[in-house]
Amino acid sequence: MKRALSPAETPQVGRSLPRLESWLKVTGRAEYVHNLRLPGMLYGRIFRSSVAHGRIRRLDVSAAQAVGGVHRVVSAADLKGIVPDPYYGPAFHDQPVLAVDKVRYVGEPVAVVLAADPHVAEEAAHLIVAEYEELPAVYDELEAMTSKAIVHDALKPAGTFPDLKHLKGRTGTNVALDFHLRRGDAAQALAAADRVFEHRFRTQQVMHTPLEPLVSVAESTDSSLTIHTASQSPSFVRIEVARLLGWPENRIRVRVPFLGGGFGAKLYIKLEALVAVLSLLTRRAVKISLTMEEQFFTITKHASSFRIKSGVTRDGRICARECEVWWNGGAYADIGPRVTQKSGFTAAGPYDIEHVAIDSYALYTNLPPAGALRGFGIPQLVWAYECHTDMMARELGIDPIEFRRRNLLRDGRPQATGTLMRDAAIEKVLDRLAVLLEWNRPFDRGTGVVRRGRGIAIGFKACVSPTTSLAAVNVNGDGSCIVYCSTVDMGQGSDTAMAQIAGEVLHLPAETVRVVHSDTDVTPYDMATLGSRSLFHMGNAVKLAAEDALKKLNQLKSELQMPPDAAIPEIFKKKYGMQAGNVVGTGSFIPSYAPPDYATGLTSDATPFWMVGGSGVEIEVDTETGRVRVARLVNVADVGTPINPKIVETQLSGAAIMQLGFTLFEKMLFDEHGQLRNASLAEYKIPGFLDMPEEIINEAVSAEQRSGPFGAKGVGETGTFGVSPAIANAIHDAVGVRLTVLPLNPESIFMELQKAK
Amino acid sequence: MRRSIQFRLNGEAVSAQVAPHETLVEVLQDAFGLFGARESCGQGLCGCCTVVVNGRAVSGCLYLASFAEGGEVSTIEAGSRLDAVQEAFIECGSLQCGFCTPGFILMTRQLLEEHPEPDDDTIRHYLSGNLCRCAAYPQIIEAVKLAARKMRQT
Amino acid sequence: MPFELAEPRSLREAIASLDAKDPSVRPISGGTALMLMMKAGVLRPSRLVSLGKLGLAGIRTGPGGELRVGAMTSLRTIEKSEIVRKGWPVIARTLRTLANVRVRNVATVGGHLAHADPHMDLPPVLSALGARVTIAGAAGERSIPVEELGTGYLETSIRLDELITLLEVPPLGGRSAAYLKCTTRSADDWPAVGVAVSLDFQGDSIREASVVIGAATDKPTRLAAVERILVGRKLDENLLDEAATQELSVEGDLHGSAAYKKQLIRVYLRRAIHEARAQSR
Repeated sequence: MKRALSPAETPQVGRSLPRLESWLKVTGRAEYVHNLRLPGMLYGRIFRSSVAHGRIRRLDVSAAQAVGGVHRVVSAADLKGIVPDPYYGPAFHDQPVLAVDKVRYVGEPVAVVLAADPHVAEEAAHLIVAEYEELPAVYDELEAMTSKAIVHDALKPAGTFPDLKHLKGRTGTNVALDFHLRRGDAAQALAAADRVFEHRFRTQQVMHTPLEPLVSVAESTDSSLTIHTASQSPSFVRIEVARLLGWPENRIRVRVPFLGGGFGAKLYIKLEALVAVLSLLTRRAVKISLTMEEQFFTITKHASSFRIKSGVTRDGRICARECEVWWNGGAYADIGPRVTQKSGFTAAGPYDIEHVAIDSYALYTNLPPAGALRGFGIPQLVWAYECHTDMMARELGIDPIEFRRRNLLRDGRPQATGTLMRDAAIEKVLDRLAVLLEWNRPFDRGTGVVRRGRGIAIGFKACVSPTTSLAAVNVNGDGSCIVYCSTVDMGQGSDTAMAQIAGEVLHLPAETVRVVHSDTDVTPYDMATLGSRSLFHMGNAVKLAAEDALKKLNQLKSELQMPPDAAIPEIFKKKYGMQAGNVVGTGSFIPSYAPPDYATGLTSDATPFWMVGGSGVEIEVDTETGRVRVARLVNVADVGTPINPKIVETQLSGAAIMQLGFTLFEKMLFDEHGQLRNASLAEYKIPGFLDMPEEIINEAVSAEQRSGPFGAKGVGETGTFGVSPAIANAIHDAVGVRLTVLPLNPESIFMELQKAK
Repeated sequence: MRRSIQFRLNGEAVSAQVAPHETLVEVLQDAFGLFGARESCGQGLCGCCTVVVNGRAVSGCLYLASFAEGGEVSTIEAGSRLDAVQEAFIECGSLQCGFCTPGFILMTRQLLEEHPEPDDDTIRHYLSGNLCRCAAYPQIIEAVKLAARKMRQT
Repeated sequence: MPFELAEPRSLREAIASLDAKDPSVRPISGGTALMLMMKAGVLRPSRLVSLGKLGLAGIRTGPGGELRVGAMTSLRTIEKSEIVRKGWPVIARTLRTLANVRVRNVATVGGHLAHADPHMDLPPVLSALGARVTIAGAAGERSIPVEELGTGYLETSIRLDELITLLEVPPLGGRSAAYLKCTTRSADDWPAVGVAVSLDFQGDSIREASVVIGAATDKPTRLAAVERILVGRKLDENLLDEAATQELSVEGDLHGSAAYKKQLIRVYLRRAIHEARAQSR
């Protein structure tokens, strides 16, 4: 591959440059932790709980220990010398490295078998015997509000992140966090409204299923630890493992190569604390690679319940809204409290409503933990409020797009928190959806068995705040450039985007810029690669760092009395007498933020930017079977000004197709004992080629995020927002039945059709 | 229990010590340091472990290494230059995280051998046993068609 | 996990390597299903007897015009065989959506039939067509209808020391056949219901009918009541709906409840009959 060092003649931002690592990926050479083998490495195989809630009465590992080739079997009792308080988590320190005394869900790690041969470890793990005294369990988020089964006896807020400092939980309940927002007087406004509508919606528990299952490797010496991990948050891993061990951060190194998908599954701490302590315990390198099945017992997306109630005036204006949202967080909080709060405050939707009351609850249950999954709770909310919007529009006899247009939250108006909307092209997104769907032209509704319908939905999201990104840009003696940042490229194309940003500032072709992958010994702090924050936050940091480098180069030029158009290598040559030296620019970015008032949830500065996404669909329903075929899927988004339009398009379309799976069939199915019945890709189906809509159109509206790097903002999640309600709205349009529970599988549609007969 | 098997790997005669239970993808990784075929779902459904044995694509995670004895095994690492399919995947942006990409490329080569001018339906059916969680499916269809055009031109 | 892998060179040697009493000794052909069972821990073999070197692959037509397929023939070879496409197009069409290309490249028809997972596509099709298999054992060979192979979920009438060696499918003659399946989650899912019909049309009426369903029951099941209704008279869809599920014990599973699966059987039965009729014209 030719990589010229000549200055770029054209702008780097706005280029549809193929991903920088394309060659590595099409030749199978991309580095994943999956590939890593270290000398003397042991493989760990996890033995997991078979009960949903219980005290561990007896754990017998003797048979496993006796298997030839087993190095050691480790349970919580063995960890005490290394980690006195073995609990971790980003919001609460509630999750044990291995179960201590109690288990809280089926599939919770209880012990680990270590062996040089992974088959031996697996075989031996089957021989471990555990006896439990079973405790009452709770699985449903609504029941968890009042259940006598309490998942955690004590709650230990982590206090790590500034936006979660207020966390305390409610001891003696399953409530990890309750968030409340009060704007105006919703109760009174509802009483005075001309029409009032109230609906309830639910979403199911699903899983990220990155095709590279979670995997971590640790190697250690007496005083240092290196963790190679498929993680979206290397900086957090280092901080959290350092805290657990009582070590300074500089003794721990966290390296992250490419990720085979993340989607939120590989955030905060997953296997890292476990491999770290196992390596310290055995003085060997230790690798744990989860199977696809085990991923289902590790991290999932919140199931949720939503009650929404709106008051509407005679002329179709929404004047008041009450929202109650219950998030099923599973047995450990993970980042659920942030989902509850950050998504909670947008629960009233992208509408200009004077009186809003929101109550949002993060609940513990005895299910596998739930975290963030491509949307941080937003798809669950949009599902509810956009079905609700359509239901009201139809009742009122107003066209669904017209009804939305009458109520849209426009730039300059306060969102429910009181934060003013800025650079949020909500109306443009709605307008483009209407155009691309040819909303005003006659629509063929089908005849006989197959009926056709169409629907739309729009949603918005506030990017999580406040979070920090740091970057360094190094210009070498020959003028070539290296970007150091801890953003993890898990497929979203961040390496390429960062190279384009640095290249734009330094007038270098982006393909000549190298981006060093996360290595906490080398790359500076970054909060995490999550919530579509990286392009904005890290993009700004990289831009600042590149500008800093440029400034230093220009300073050198003037110190050396060189002409302004002097080439970079000439500067270094003059300064050092040969090709030598380098210039390092640094950049640090944290947006402004005002925390919400605890009682009212109001704040003047809730987020650094708003993401806006909408989808429209045309579908066919087979009325004899309830099967739905999506013929056309249109996704429109405000992503600011795209840095790389082609990658933006694949992000929008990929996110929408992923959400299509969550909409139509993906669902984790539990029995009455909290046992997961479909923990494999044979029984938990994700969208494949034959599930694709015949036609997919993606469009980023012309827009600018003025505070973003070159007008850009995040896009990774935006395509998910509108898909589910658009399809439910289209089903209603086609056959007149309304589904309020995801997924919209053929059987539930058929059963509704039967009821309607 | 281990025994030596001989086969050709990407054009070279090789031998490996394998246990009866070891799969082809394990042997490629552990004995030959080839990681382009990788186990993901472990059930032959996702195609990440695709390997070509005697000219036919197989799921390397469900294929006993012993069965490759005397055969011709080819992986994504074969060859030193990009072919039309790889070029098309790059140009069409048909990859995101890249974990499934080698499998898709090997399957696309087989598809184009059988169907030099495939229509959408043929592509979808042929590749329906490969999963991409990043869902680059529309871009993969583009790449298959572009690769077909490239191959016809040369 | 550790097991012995035997690779016999002759059928006799292969049968001798099996064990009439020990279920941990198993024959392996393509291995796609066995590997899954081993990975899931439901099969822990002591010895696997590989059938790959027995030379049991090949497709030809027999003296009576019947299709003769060696048990070790891959599903993909059958799918692409011109003999099959011309003479038994329903088999080639069924194979196109069976699992995926890689599985079909490796899985063999003998292994497919011996596995007896009720969700598989070929057993109902072959049963509806009146196909037979030859089974070889120490005592010699026997031939049984494919329909009598499955005795329950993952259970067959093949003894532990026997092997399927040959599949024979009678010529279609004047019959037209169709197989439709319905998935309820992703399109590549195991079917919730599969319906195979083989119908001999004479104008608007049907001279001979064979109807077998898969996936909804623990083994492929012939719908004799439906066949009786179909034969010798004009199609009455109301009668058909009732007959479709009256004799069936359908159990709900992850693909759908029993009631829903019965609905799918009614709908797909009608559609399969229509498709067969369309082909007959």
